[in-house]
Amino acid sequence: MTLMLLAIFLPLAAAPLAMSFAGKLRRVGDAVAILVSLVCLVASVLLFGKDMLYTLPWAGFGFDFSMRIYPLASLALCAVNGFALLVSRYSWKFMEDKPARDWYYFSFLITLGFANGAILAENLVLMLFFWEGLLVTLYLFLALARENNECKATAMKALIINGAGDVCLMAGVVITGWLAGTMSMKSVAAAPLAIHGWGMAGFIFMALGAMAKAGALPFHTWIPDAASDAQLPFMAYLPAALEKVLGIYLLAKVCLEFYALNSSLSMRLALMTLGAATILIAVMMALVQSEYKRLLSYHAISQVGYMILGIGTGNPVGVAGGLFHMVNHAVYKCCLFLTGGSVENRAGVTKLDELGGLAKTMPVTAACFVVAAAAISGIPPFNGYFSKELIYKGALDTGYTGFFIAAELGSLLTLASFLKLGHSVYFGKKPEGLNVKEASWHMLGPMLVLAGICVIFGFGAKLPLKFLIEPSLAGTYADASLASLYGFSVPEHLHGFHADKLFFMALGVIALASLNHWFGLRRGGSPQKASEHVHHAPGLGFVYSLAEKRFFDPYDQGMKLTFFLGRGLYVLDRVMDFFTDTLPAALTDFASLLVSRLHGGFFGYYLGWAVAGFVLFALIISYTGALP
Amino acid sequence: MTISYFSFVSIPALAALACPFVAKLKPRYADMISGSALLAGLITAVSYIWEFHQPVMAALPPADLTFNLEVFRSDIFSLLMIIAIYLVAAAVAFFSIFHRRQDSRAGIWQGLLLMSAAAMSGIVSARDFFTLYVFVEVAAVAAYALIAFDDTAEGIEGALKYFFMSAPASAFILLGVALLMLYTGGVSFAHLSRAASASAANETAVVVILGVMACGFMVKAGLVPFHGWTPDAYQSAPAPVSALLSGIVTKAAGVYALVRIAMALKSMPGNVAAAAACNGLMFFGGLSIVVGALGALRQRDFKRMLAFSSISQVGYIVLAAGAGTPLAMAGAIFHLFNHTTFKASLFLNSAAIEKQTGTTDMKSLSGLETRMPWTALTSSIAMLSTAGIPPLSGFWSKAIIIFALWKAGFHGYAVIATLASVLTLAYFIVMQSRVFFGKTPEHLLQVREAEFGMLVPVIVFSAIIVALGLYFPILFTGMAWPAARTVL
Repeated sequence: MTLMLLAIFLPLAAAPLAMSFAGKLRRVGDAVAILVSLVCLVASVLLFGKDMLYTLPWAGFGFDFSMRIYPLASLALCAVNGFALLVSRYSWKFMEDKPARDWYYFSFLITLGFANGAILAENLVLMLFFWEGLLVTLYLFLALARENNECKATAMKALIINGAGDVCLMAGVVITGWLAGTMSMKSVAAAPLAIHGWGMAGFIFMALGAMAKAGALPFHTWIPDAASDAQLPFMAYLPAALEKVLGIYLLAKVCLEFYALNSSLSMRLALMTLGAATILIAVMMALVQSEYKRLLSYHAISQVGYMILGIGTGNPVGVAGGLFHMVNHAVYKCCLFLTGGSVENRAGVTKLDELGGLAKTMPVTAACFVVAAAAISGIPPFNGYFSKELIYKGALDTGYTGFFIAAELGSLLTLASFLKLGHSVYFGKKPEGLNVKEASWHMLGPMLVLAGICVIFGFGAKLPLKFLIEPSLAGTYADASLASLYGFSVPEHLHGFHADKLFFMALGVIALASLNHWFGLRRGGSPQKASEHVHHAPGLGFVYSLAEKRFFDPYDQGMKLTFFLGRGLYVLDRVMDFFTDTLPAALTDFASLLVSRLHGGFFGYYLGWAVAGFVLFALIISYTGALP
Repeated sequence: MTISYFSFVSIPALAALACPFVAKLKPRYADMISGSALLAGLITAVSYIWEFHQPVMAALPPADLTFNLEVFRSDIFSLLMIIAIYLVAAAVAFFSIFHRRQDSRAGIWQGLLLMSAAAMSGIVSARDFFTLYVFVEVAAVAAYALIAFDDTAEGIEGALKYFFMSAPASAFILLGVALLMLYTGGVSFAHLSRAASASAANETAVVVILGVMACGFMVKAGLVPFHGWTPDAYQSAPAPVSALLSGIVTKAAGVYALVRIAMALKSMPGNVAAAAACNGLMFFGGLSIVVGALGALRQRDFKRMLAFSSISQVGYIVLAAGAGTPLAMAGAIFHLFNHTTFKASLFLNSAAIEKQTGTTDMKSLSGLETRMPWTALTSSIAMLSTAGIPPLSGFWSKAIIIFALWKAGFHGYAVIATLASVLTLAYFIVMQSRVFFGKTPEHLLQVREAEFGMLVPVIVFSAIIVALGLYFPILFTGMAWPAARTVL
């Protein structure tokens, strides 16, 4: 229990401490943050493989401070703390000259503590508490990233979108707790709820809350904006790693433990459709981006689609693929963002037009990029290939081939966009005046570790599947060892590389993507313009131009609506003001003017009034009284 | 036990006679005599609170229904008024020692103050209308002289306006007294109630008599529309005199008598004419509240604004007295006392400002809070109390008045009283921010705080305002409530 409490409260306690060091002692504060991340990682590794439940009294009414560690939570906990350590180490160098630095490690540690809390919480309400707490630091990170108004606007956008997601989650928690009669997750999981009636509402709300955190459609629109405005380690830390892990972790719990998703075809189809749509729409947007970080941020959205698709299949292979993809994606996307940070740090620009040929001077960064890009594009034998393969298999097994095709198409476009990105930045022609040197080892270290994991989880895909994923699913309907009970074939895909038709599909995808890139190069003339033939394709061009005007952004559309609503309320307010404020004030003013003008000092008036008053008094007495 | 208040009238009257003569020796002697006489009177009056027992109205001897002056006996209401009178008179006398340091006519000044205090004490302890009338006239004469004391054209004009309004009023009062004498064979309050209780027809006649007198007292109280003289007189009088006039003279000579008349009217339940007369009083009270507050809003002169504010506050007292339930009556008495403290405090502050800056025109004043911090502080306490902001004394009395009006069924008047207190706050905020807040202009940078002696009275008033606010039962349940109960 101490370890669990440590993982939650040590970062929270250390956050003000880290911020309290200023001036020359700033480095001490940074070191404290890194050290705390390390301690938390050690604690989560020590917790690995345990299954414990601890309860402390909290708010009463069945809202206990209960924490539970079990394989699925272990997986998420190790992932979160691992990324936290790497990103904090990376930020040591990256953030050293940034104005946002004073608040950076404070927000970082608070986020870590809350994320650990959200993972370990066993009570739904406690989980919600930590979950909502993350909003605060999300806002802090974004609003204090730079000293301009754009990042405040983006922070507000992120806050509102995530707030909307959290409201969904809150509704889901309330309905789930009410249906189950308990707020304890373990008790809920003991008898998964059926998805119909209120159960359907509870499932939809909880799933929406989880997916909003992961950044799926339509809760994704703040991420590309944040990519432009926020400091880069934030992107690697939250949208790329922590939020994906938290969101998919919760989605897995909702789909596997709280609700019996495997018996609801409609919800599975809905999830898979949402997943496929997220994959395709986001990757189409990613393809035409011309900025390093923004392009990556669209991929961060797109990849969530794979995880949702995998979990939505509801069969052991697909669910295992979804969870494995969650880990893999966090690894390679984090690595990709970090390479972006290194380039930004050295070159000072992230526009693709202004970059090129960096592989010569930044070979290690380029190598890390290539490995991670290969992994995200699903090129064997890197880790992304294996998790995607499981998802393809799971999608095929459902019998709805459309989802499989969508997933493959997504892969194709992902590879195409990374060919464009890699070619533009690291190869091709170097622009005049771009003199860069290799990134500092402080930054290369975390990148190398992540790239290394990409390779290890690829060549040795059997290991993470056996030790991380399979135990997490034990006891649920997606338990691989029980697969036959549910009528699934024993999934040989869970045992690493083998050359079947999916492998050849992947080779085909690689060939097609390369062909597309070659075609784009011929048409566009430079690697930066390699996707222009898609961007301005007949029909698509129009949709793209609408998307670039944020026509499809629910936040922007909502804000426009809010604007009209606000105008209406403003007018109503003015009308009310007129009657409660302007009119009485004007009348009072007029009466006051009259009274003060009348008191001009002329004695005749005064005497006249007094006489009139006397007459009036006499009239009052005689009319209302009984005088004759 | 009956307490004779004769000494409250006789001692200042004698001191007033002595003042001009000792001032020949040294003008400061007059200050000493006046100050010590008034202070001693105040201490004695306050000490009476503890000795006070419910007064027993001595039954009139049956044979003695002829001309009967039943003077110098009183109840707790009179005692409360005497405390207020001595408080204000002592404060003004003390204040003038420093305010009029260079004045060679201190003997006459202090003598007039003492005479005014003596006359007012006479008014509130009188038990018949003739005595009351005599003292009202004495107080008025002292007031004319005080208003015109500085021999300025405005002062004389103000005094003359007061005189020309007051003289017909006195005539009305005297007419009422004569009618009463004619009708009941005596002029005491006891005769009045005895005549009223004789038959319904007599009651109506008594109402008419009271109505005639009420018209006179409404002029003295400065109630709209009988108020014409008030703004001009208060503005043109020397500021300490304005404090005395607004703080106590109009209260004792006008409002006190009106409250007594309202009490008498209320002692005739079921008489339609009495109810109608009460309605008339309430109407003029409500009118005063509104017109006074509206008039105050646009004033440029500090003292003139305070004058309009006085009209408005007197309206509250008369409105509540006209409503006539015990709670309303107690509220009226409580507000009467509170108004004495805060309005005297504000007028004394205006005197300090006039002395230090040479003007009371709010257009040329600004940012005095940095220059005159104590004046600014006491002024804001008094102003917040007037506007009825808790926990100051004015809040309680206003709240009681409004609750009582509502409970008595006068919902319209209760709403008017509540809305008018918003206006009160409005004009006082205008005043406070114009005079005390904001940036201090160049020509006021040399202004210094009033000297300590001038601050003492206003600080005492502020302390009373705060104390009565925090421990409002002291005055309310201790004095105002019994006063209202015993008389009704």
